[in-house]
Parts: sequence; C-alpha cells; structure tokens
Amino acid sequence: MNFSKDCNGMDVKEPDKTLLSSIDFSPEKYVRDLSQHCVGGPELRRLRKKIQNLSEETNNSLKKNVYQNYMQFIDSAKELSHLESEMYQLSHLLSEQKSLLTSLCTTSILADDSMIIRRSENKDENVKEQNQINHEKLASILEKVEGCKELLEVSARTYLYEGPLAELDPLENTVIKNVQAYLFSDGLMIATRNGRGLMKYVFETMYELGSLAVVNVKDLGNIKYAFKILIFPDTRIFKCDSETTKKEWLEKFDHAKKTKLTQDQQKRESVPEKSPSRSISIDSQSLNQFEELEDTVTAHPEWFLEAPEELDVCIAQRHFDDALALLQRVVEYCAHAQQDHVLIEVQRKVDVRHNNLTQVLMKELEISTGKSMQGGLGASRRAVRLLIMLGHSNQACDLFLKLCTYLLKIQYDRTKKEGSITVYVKNLSGIIFTNICHMTEEFLKNFPNSSACCSAYLVWVSAQLSYFSNHFIKRVFKSPISLSNLAECIDLVRWHCQKLCTYGVDLCYQVEGALRTYITKALKDFNDKFVESIKFKALDDNWNPTNLKSKNLLSKCLNEYAEMGLILNSYITGDVWLQITANNMEFSKTFLILLNNCLKLETTELLYAINDTISNVFEAQIKQHELILSEGTKADQKTFVIKNAEFLLTTLMVLCQRKYIEKLGFPCEKLKQIQDKYSSLITVISPTTRDIKTKYSSDQYL
Amino acid sequence: MAKKATVQPALHKVIMVGSGGVGKSALTLQFMYDEFVEDYEPTKADSYRKKILLDGEDVQIDILDTAGQEDYAAIRDNYFRSGEGFLCIFSITEDESFQATQEFREQILRVKNDENIPFLLVGNKSDLEDRRKVTFQEASDRAKQWGVPYVETSAKTREHVDKVFYDLMREIRARKIEEKTVNNGRGKDKNKKKKLKCTIL
Ligand SMILES: Nc1nc2c(ncn2[C@@H]2O[C@H](COP(=O)(O)OP(=O)(O)OP(=O)(O)O)[C@@H](O)[C@H]2O)c(=O)[nH]1
Ligand SMILES: [Mg+2]
Repeated sequence: MNFSKDCNGMDVKEPDKTLLSSIDFSPEKYVRDLSQHCVGGPELRRLRKKIQNLSEETNNSLKKNVYQNYMQFIDSAKELSHLESEMYQLSHLLSEQKSLLTSLCTTSILADDSMIIRRSENKDENVKEQNQINHEKLASILEKVEGCKELLEVSARTYLYEGPLAELDPLENTVIKNVQAYLFSDGLMIATRNGRGLMKYVFETMYELGSLAVVNVKDLGNIKYAFKILIFPDTRIFKCDSETTKKEWLEKFDHAKKTKLTQDQQKRESVPEKSPSRSISIDSQSLNQFEELEDTVTAHPEWFLEAPEELDVCIAQRHFDDALALLQRVVEYCAHAQQDHVLIEVQRKVDVRHNNLTQVLMKELEISTGKSMQGGLGASRRAVRLLIMLGHSNQACDLFLKLCTYLLKIQYDRTKKEGSITVYVKNLSGIIFTNICHMTEEFLKNFPNSSACCSAYLVWVSAQLSYFSNHFIKRVFKSPISLSNLAECIDLVRWHCQKLCTYGVDLCYQVEGALRTYITKALKDFNDKFVESIKFKALDDNWNPTNLKSKNLLSKCLNEYAEMGLILNSYITGDVWLQITANNMEFSKTFLILLNNCLKLETTELLYAINDTISNVFEAQIKQHELILSEGTKADQKTFVIKNAEFLLTTLMVLCQRKYIEKLGFPCEKLKQIQDKYSSLITVISPTTRDIKTKYSSDQYL
Repeated sequence: MAKKATVQPALHKVIMVGSGGVGKSALTLQFMYDEFVEDYEPTKADSYRKKILLDGEDVQIDILDTAGQEDYAAIRDNYFRSGEGFLCIFSITEDESFQATQEFREQILRVKNDENIPFLLVGNKSDLEDRRKVTFQEASDRAKQWGVPYVETSAKTREHVDKVFYDLMREIRARKIEEKTVNNGRGKDKNKKKKLKCTIL
C-alpha cells in the first residue's frame, strides 16, 4: 500500500464499491491509469485480488436481493390466490342472497307469469319485476280512466309514459280541451277530463302505434311546445307545457316505435308464411282485437294441442329427454305463433308439466335413505343435464353438490380404521381426494359456464376440505404419533391438495391453515420431549469414547454414519474406538431424523417453529458440553469433551446446514447463532478449529 | 264555422318527400328563414307554417318535412294523406335518390288516389354541378312521363327555392278551386236529378 502511494502519490484510487459504481467510472481509463502509475507485479496482483473480492461481494449481495425479491413474489402470489378464493366465496354468498330474494319476490307476485321457460335465467327476475310494476300501473289507470276496461286485455301491453296535454284547434290554434295522454308499448290513449263522476278521466280513443304519425311542430306562429298526430282522417295538435315535456314526449314516441319495430321484425322473421304487414288502419276506438284472433284459433297443429297429454305420458314413462324435446318444441312454437286464448291455455298446461318434470328430475337427484347410490355421480348425469336445460342450473348444482357430499361421507364411513394411523390417513386422503378430483371433473363437465355454480362449487370444495382437515386433525394429532409419521401424513395431504390445484381449485392454503396450529404445537411437544430426554441422558453420561468392540463393527458403524452424511474417520483412535461419546453418536442420528422431518414439514409459515425446534434441541445437546467443561474436569477428559463439541459444531452442524440449504436455499440463522455462541468452547484450545467460524460460516452458501 | 274560416287566410299543405340527405330540410329552412344549414341532422317529422302573399292573396303554407327513412308504411301513409301537394326531392349528385323518387311517386298516388295531385319533381343541390350524377334530361324525361314540372334547386344558393314552393302552391290553389266547382257542379247535378224525379212523379 505504501508502495503504491509512493510510486504515484496522486489520483489512482483504491478500488471500492463507490468508485466502481460511480456514473463516470470508465474501466478502460481506470486500468490504463493503474498500469501507468503502479510499478511491479505484486502491487497489481494486490489490486486485482481486491477487485475480485469486490466482485464476489457484489455477487453475493445480488443473490441475496434476488432471493428476497423472489420470496416476496411468492408471498404475494399466495396472497393473491387466497384473495381469489375469498372472492369466489363472496360471489357465492351473493348469488345465494339473490336467489333468496327472488324466491321472496315470487311469493308476493300475484300476476301469473306463465312460461317461465321462455326466459333466460338471469333475465327472469328483472322481467318479473317490470311486469309487476306494469301491472300495478295499468290497474291504477283502470281506476282513473272510465271506459277502458279493455286496456288489460292485450297481455303484452306495457305502460310507458303519460302526461297532461292541451289539444288545439288545427285551424284556429286555440285550446279546445285538456286531455290526459297515455303511451303504451302498442298505442297512444287519449282520455278527456271528466267533470262529473267518480273517475278523473273518460276514455276517448286509442291510436295504434304502428300507424301513428307524429309531427314535431317547429313553427306555428306564436304556438310553442306543440306536436301533431296524423291518423287519417284526424289531424290533432297537442300542446305541452314546456319544451322539455315536448321533447320527452317525442323521444318516448320514437323509442316506443323503435321497440315495436324490432319486436315486429322478430315476429315477422319467425313467421315468414304470414301475410306481410297488412295495412293497419284501425278505426279509432277499436280496442277489441278479439274478432281478429277468433279466426286463427283452428290454426294450431294437433301435436301442439296434444302436447300437455303427451308430456304426461313421457314423464310417467321416464322418457325425460323426449319430454324436454317436446317442451322446447312447444316453446319455440309459442314464440312464433299467434297469441290467442287457445295458445295461452295450452301454454298454461305445458307450464304445469314443465314444473312436474323439474320436480321429478330433482327427485332423481335427491338423496333418500333406502335409495341405492350404486350409480354414483354417473347416474345423476342425465338428470343434471336435463335440469340445466330446463333452466334450473342453480337447483341442479345444489342437488349435485349435496349428492357429492353424501357420496364422500359414505367413503369416510367405509374406510377401515384398523391398522396404523399412517396407513389409515394414506388410504383416506387417497380416497377422499381422488373422489373430489373426480367430482370436479364431473362438475366441470356438467356446469361449464355458470359462474354462480362455479362459486358454489368452490365453496363446496372448501367445506369438504374443512371437514377432511378436522377429521385428519382428530386422527393424527389427538393420538400419539411419531414425527416421521406425522411428516409423512402431512406431506401426503399436501401432495393431494397440490393435485387439486391442477383443476384450478387452489385451496392448499386453507388446509395448511387448518393444520398449522396443530403442527406448531406438535413441533413444540417434540421439542420439549427431546430436550427433556437429552438432559436425562446427560445424567448418565460418563464422557467416554465409544468402543465398537471390533473392527468389523467399527466399519459397519462408519458406513452407517457415512450414509447419513457424517464422515467419522477422523475420530477413530486405535482399532475400535471413536472419539465421540455414545450419547453424541445417538444424538446426531436422531437429530438428523428430526431435521429431515422438520424440513419435510417446512412451509414459510412454519419456518419459525421449525427453526426454534431444531435450534433448541441442538443447543440442549451442546450445552451439556459447556456444563461439563465449566465443572473443571481433568485435562485429558477436557480435550475429549472439546473434541465432541467440535464434532457437533462442525461436522454435524455443516451437514445440517447443508441439508437445510438444500431444502430452503439459505442457511438456518438460528443454528448459526448457536454455532457462534458456543464456538468459544472449541477455539480456546484447539488450534485446528480456529478458523471454523470463517470456514463454515454460512456466508459461503450465498 | 264559416265566420272563423274567413278570418284565417287559406292554408295550403305541402309535404317534402325524398330520400335521406337530399336536402328536404335544407330547402324548407331556406324557404322559411332564408338560411342554409351545413350540418346534416336526419329529420323525423317537422312541420312549419308561414304566412305569405301568393299573387296578391294572403295565404298560409304548412310544410311537413318528413324523414327520408320511415319504417312503418302505415305511418308514412298517414303523413302523405295529410298533404295537398308534394315536393318530391332528389339530389342531382346521387342517382339512388333519383331512383327512389319513382317509389315515392307511386306511394303518393296510391295514398291520395289522385293522378293529378299537385306535385313537383325537384332536383336539388344544383350548385354541385361538378358532382352531378343525374342529367337534366333524364330527370325532365321522368317528370314529363308523370306529367309534372321538373325544377332544379339549390338550398345553398337559394336558386329556385321560392319558385318550387310558389309553383306548388299555385297548383294546390288551382286544384282547390277546380274541386270546388266540380263539387258544386255535381251538387247541381244531383239537385237536377231530384228535381227531374220529382217532375216525373
Ligand atoms: N351543396 C349543397 N348542399 C346541400 C344542399 N341541400 C342540402 N345540402 C346538404 O346536404 C345535407 C343533407 O341535407 P338535409 O336537408 O338535412 O337532408 P334531408 O333531405 O332533410 O335528410 P333527412 O332529414 O334525413 O330525410 C346537409 O349537410 C346539407 O347541408 C344544396 O342545395 N347544396
Ligand atoms: Mg331533413
């Protein structure tokens, strides 16, 4: 260092992070300066080493950062998937609420709403509600306007708008009378004010919308806010009370006309054989369309008239597919055909059959004692499919899931409880999860595009997994079980959960959450037990090397430990001795098993408990060495104890950290702390172990 | 009734027909308010009224500006029924609109059931000579065939705008006078017949 300063005494700086990361740093220039100002190989070599160190350091911190980011990414991904399933559950709750509300609504609706099948599922409620409002409105008009009883006779008529208007004389432009005008989906009704009598207005006329020519009066001298209607031979001028109401009326007329036009077009398209729009010039005041309808009565085909009876037969003979096909044919026919009273009568009868069929199909899916469930889900397929086609996918989904629940329950009862817990859990989780997977497939086949059903299904799976978790907890945690078996059982369940994910049902976190407290508690128990037994065994320990009695047994022992990853050759003395206590020999074996099982159980959430357990146990063992050394033992025994401590803190510890890193990608901080804490035990005397800390410090793994 | 009628000047009802965008509204507004509207906003059905002096006589004109597009035939019939004379407009820059006049003519004749209904064939947008698609010749040939006058107008330059409205009103007025005399004549005839019968008896 002095040398370099001597030789240049100026601006070639020592390489460090700030220099290298400064913006105006230019490698070429820096190297040129260096080689100019530095004399001699050693100096250059020193600088190179320094730069190399810097590069390694940067590398390490980069790795650390990447790892940290990665962990954060994983955590947020997990969080997202939890949120997703919560949203599903919410959606399910909402759709349940919705159907509850609808069922409440339907019970209070008086208006008959036949042919439910015609409407798509989600339109249903809306339409019903509007029908209700419309019905009430029409009824209130009936009460106010005298002489318009026929108003309700046209079933498709809906109320759109009303308002007071002043009628003007077409020549004089003076007000003749005040009227109340009502706009319906098919016509405009004019009612005049009634001086006497109970009702406010008297029906005057009804103009059909299909021939009502409306004119926006833009300029009529000093008359403002007026519009005309032209229905030959009438020309009538009406005056509104403001520009806005006039605009409103004109817009309503326009909208009503457009709506009617699209409806008419649909009708016309579906019934091409009907004569194209005969000129509709109706006599004003003719509301009665009955005569017109009378002559089409005979037009309905025989199959249509006989449909209700035919449906009865199909349902009785359980030819459900035929029944459904016929139902659909009827619906199609009704949509196109002339609406008359015969048609409505048949529709009503068919509706009853529709309900019958639904009931029968729902019965098929219901679970009753006595009923054989041999067919399983496959047997339900037809009923489910037909129910969906009938527009009852929610009910079908509900019944389907109930059936699934029932079938799963049978599996719980059937799985034999004898034998070890592990075997039982293996069997049971295998059966339950396979079934759930199978049911998921079946579900996806049955209900491919209904989001309401999909959320219902997720909620169902969630409930099933809760049930399973509870069952699992009862079996596994409430009875004595070894950590190995526990780890194996839990590993198995996790594997199954993961498999469910491939179907898009990610509920691992839920099962994990249910088990977590129990696993944590179990770990704590194992921890306590282990520490207890360490203390107990230490009492009997007389700190002697292990005598393996024969060369043969020694090599067998060495092999056994080598397989676990512990190379003990350096601890051999003589032919049959190992400079490790029997206690430590056993400890290292059981500790490695503990570690393996812990690592098997590992999840981010459990890591804390796991670290605690392994470090507590390890510390309990190493502590025994500290105790014995502080008691002031003889010199030769001291060396032996230190040698043992060194075995634990280096040989075993390195292996443990390696395993830990293999699984998690980073070393166990807590174990490292213990290593640091007790490193004084071995550094005091043994010169060979002085560099343990740096050599085995876990930094090198990053 | 008769008293009131004398107070109000005679009312002539004119209807503007023709395809969308040919300039029905533009012609109407030019005639009514001497203004030209550049923007195109499709009409539904607008009516205007104006007092004018026709050959020294006070009259009122009622213009019904209809939509180029009307979906209900029945509604269109009702519009047409209310008219006493028709300006059938097409745009000389658009052949389709010229072809459509044939259809309008037929509909009007069907609805009014009168071959001699006051009617003018109007070729509008004459200011757009460079974009002309319909020759004067073919348009006037068609008018001749129908027995109606053909006039070319421009709502933009106001060329012949007053002419088409005034010409049509004159025809309407002439028709009304004619009808009156025919009716009166017929009435006289009837009276004559009755009288004849009486005398026979
Ligand atoms: N250059 C030119 N443009 C015109 C003339 N007449 C109308 N236009 C333009 O053509 C377009 C349509 O004119 P309108 O008068 O709105 O057409 P319309 O016949 O009333 O159309 P609808 O109301 O849809 O039946 C507008 O942009 C006018 O400015 C004309 O004589 N010359
Ligand atoms: Mg217009």
